[in-house]
Amino acid sequence: MSTSQAVDARSADPGGAAEPATVDPPARARRSTVRRRNLRTALLFISPWIIGVLIFIVYPVAYSIGLSFTRYSGMEAPTWVGLQNYVTAFLDPLVRTSVGNTVFYAVIAVPLGLVVALTLAIAMNQNVREVALYRTIFYAPSLIPAFAMSFIFIVFLNPQFGVFNRILNVFGGSNVNLLGDPTGVKIAIILMAQLGAGNAALIFLAGLRNVPKTVYEAARVDGAGPIRQFLSITFPLLTPVLLFNLITGVSGALQVFTEAYIVTNGTGDPDAGALFYMMYLYKNAFGFAELGYASALAVLLFLVGLALALLIYWLSRRFVNYDVEAG
Amino acid sequence: MISRRSLLTGATAAGLALGLGACASYPDPGPNVIRYWGVGAADKDKDEQVREAFRATDAGKDAQIYIDQVPSSGVADMSQIITAVRGGTAPDLWWMDRFNAVQNASIGLLEPLDELIEKYEDVSPEEFKSQWIQFAVDELTYDGKLYGLPCTTDARGLMYNEDLLRDAGVDLDLFDADQHVLTWDELSEAVEQIVEIDDRGNYTRFGFAPWLGEGWPYTWAFGLDAQAYDNDTATVTLDSPQWESVFQLYADWAERFPYATVDAFMATYQPPNAPPTQTAMFSGHLGIDITGPWQISANEKYAPDLPLKFTYLPVAQEGDPTYTWSGGQCLVIPAGANITKTLWEFLKFYAGYEGQSRVVPQYGNLPTNLKAIEEGTYNPKAELFRKMLPNSTSRPPLPVGSAMWDTLTRTRSSVALGSRTPAEAVADNQSMIAPKMDLFEGYRMPDTYGQPSPVPGS
Repeated sequence: MSTSQAVDARSADPGGAAEPATVDPPARARRSTVRRRNLRTALLFISPWIIGVLIFIVYPVAYSIGLSFTRYSGMEAPTWVGLQNYVTAFLDPLVRTSVGNTVFYAVIAVPLGLVVALTLAIAMNQNVREVALYRTIFYAPSLIPAFAMSFIFIVFLNPQFGVFNRILNVFGGSNVNLLGDPTGVKIAIILMAQLGAGNAALIFLAGLRNVPKTVYEAARVDGAGPIRQFLSITFPLLTPVLLFNLITGVSGALQVFTEAYIVTNGTGDPDAGALFYMMYLYKNAFGFAELGYASALAVLLFLVGLALALLIYWLSRRFVNYDVEAG
Repeated sequence: MISRRSLLTGATAAGLALGLGACASYPDPGPNVIRYWGVGAADKDKDEQVREAFRATDAGKDAQIYIDQVPSSGVADMSQIITAVRGGTAPDLWWMDRFNAVQNASIGLLEPLDELIEKYEDVSPEEFKSQWIQFAVDELTYDGKLYGLPCTTDARGLMYNEDLLRDAGVDLDLFDADQHVLTWDELSEAVEQIVEIDDRGNYTRFGFAPWLGEGWPYTWAFGLDAQAYDNDTATVTLDSPQWESVFQLYADWAERFPYATVDAFMATYQPPNAPPTQTAMFSGHLGIDITGPWQISANEKYAPDLPLKFTYLPVAQEGDPTYTWSGGQCLVIPAGANITKTLWEFLKFYAGYEGQSRVVPQYGNLPTNLKAIEEGTYNPKAELFRKMLPNSTSRPPLPVGSAMWDTLTRTRSSVALGSRTPAEAVADNQSMIAPKMDLFEGYRMPDTYGQPSPVPGS
């Protein structure tokens, strides 16, 4: 049943929530009072979130926008400089470098992350006896904090003792320090991010389990094999989940920080190869005491993130399929 | 059965108690209360030794000193202290890397000490400051005011493994600091003798590269007369020919010993964030490193049997003067601190002869207090570095120090990797820092900066 059919069916239901044709005034007043009371109760229940959003998101964002037009060290009163921070950002070669690094990361890490997460989800969805154990094993790496994962990767990539170089040696390659190369360090951080794919995989898994079995049964009757079923049923019906994971993935990619901070000791080197946008922003704020400039960088990141989210939403109308719900 | 009202009241009370309990751990200010952010967890005992010694004096008998160890996330990462100051929970005293003093003073993060000297001391600020070595005082001076008291200091030199060099056939007399100062050519020849390569092209034994250890651009800049700032014209001079020669040094060595191969060697035997026990030097794979006296305590602790010795940094020509630079720590009063006479007395005690003579020998570093230097209250193995002090200096005390350090370090790796020429690197550095310094129009470093710092008995 399509969404529009479902709505029509609910509207036709005489016991549904549709308003009767005539209502006497005292009843309407009573209903209005009840609604107001319900609204008050509802607002009271969600007030911690409303207050939290106002204090911890709306206020800092507004404050940061204000600071972006000032020179501010974090200590003395901000000095108004107009658009100077934004002009500086567009001229700063390290902004260009950090944007390039972040785009490099996002363009590879996000699609790769979706593929890894979807593969994990399909593996977690297999109808075998030990599925609970497999799900735990596949999800376990996502429980490791990013900083701990970074230290594990440093050992993993050790030129002499690390598994990565041992594999290279098998093929006759000499030892390389991936973390000592401007491109290699980005690739290492992209690989590191894949070990956190378990969260996205869980969301894919929920989507997979939402696909009605009857659809697969019908497809099998029509002679569709596993690949045809995946391409024509599973994937199209997972697109709403894909959209969610895509937007959170892009948002996370724009903010990549922890792994790069740890593996480069906070420098972003060699040769600014791991100087991601957030790292440069952080350096400006807390290393160089230029919070006004860092705020301008944050505002630009916010605008780019917003624009990308809107673009993905706009594009999603072409590929996201909301037609079938859980059967 | 518990009613809903009782449950909600109980839950609210428990939440408040937990929240208030967490807040209550911060001691209230008082005339004898000192809230101190210390050296670091591994050296907490040194802070405690000084605290107990101070409490045994008349000035400190009523002092309540609360020691917290708040490690910084990075060399110039000020997030913790700025957050504490802005949040009204600033410590009264903070153990800080002296290099950050001028930048932190320029943003209003630190309290000047001149008024305290005039208020509590019987001598003029100039006379009071003369208790400490000049370059350390200069590094704490911004706009003519003093923003902290210096504690430890150091100097830079070469550390070499005598056994490894002997095994490689290197003439050890060249490395004997009492007989000779190495030239770059002699060092280069020694490194050729030390290097061993396996059949895959990996270094299994390596000698030296100018970007390893303390081989910062500043280290070689002091030997090549490259100045970062000209006081007379108040301009940044990071694009001078001397600075280009600093980066040329990196380029030349990287041509002979490729950065990626050296980097793979270092990452093998001394990976990033490795524990202090795991160094290429301790494992006998690296012959020569650039380091300072702080290394002595680690050597004694983790490699007591290894014959590790020190000598001067290499010079261009035989007979050229030796050079080095000194960093170190200091004690400062952050903005918003509870400034009392007890605080001043403790600060003076810790940074003065009494405090330094107690803790500096344990660090392996050198004291900045002239009496402590004169009386030799430091590890005897640091004597060579002590001899370097009169001709040493600090990194330039500039309000953009962190940004300058950052750009110099980044372009060092660019040149060593070959993605920038030395000329491009110095142009990048100049264009990155000059606009930042423009905000401090007419800024002058102390006139004594870069001059010799007399040490009694030297």
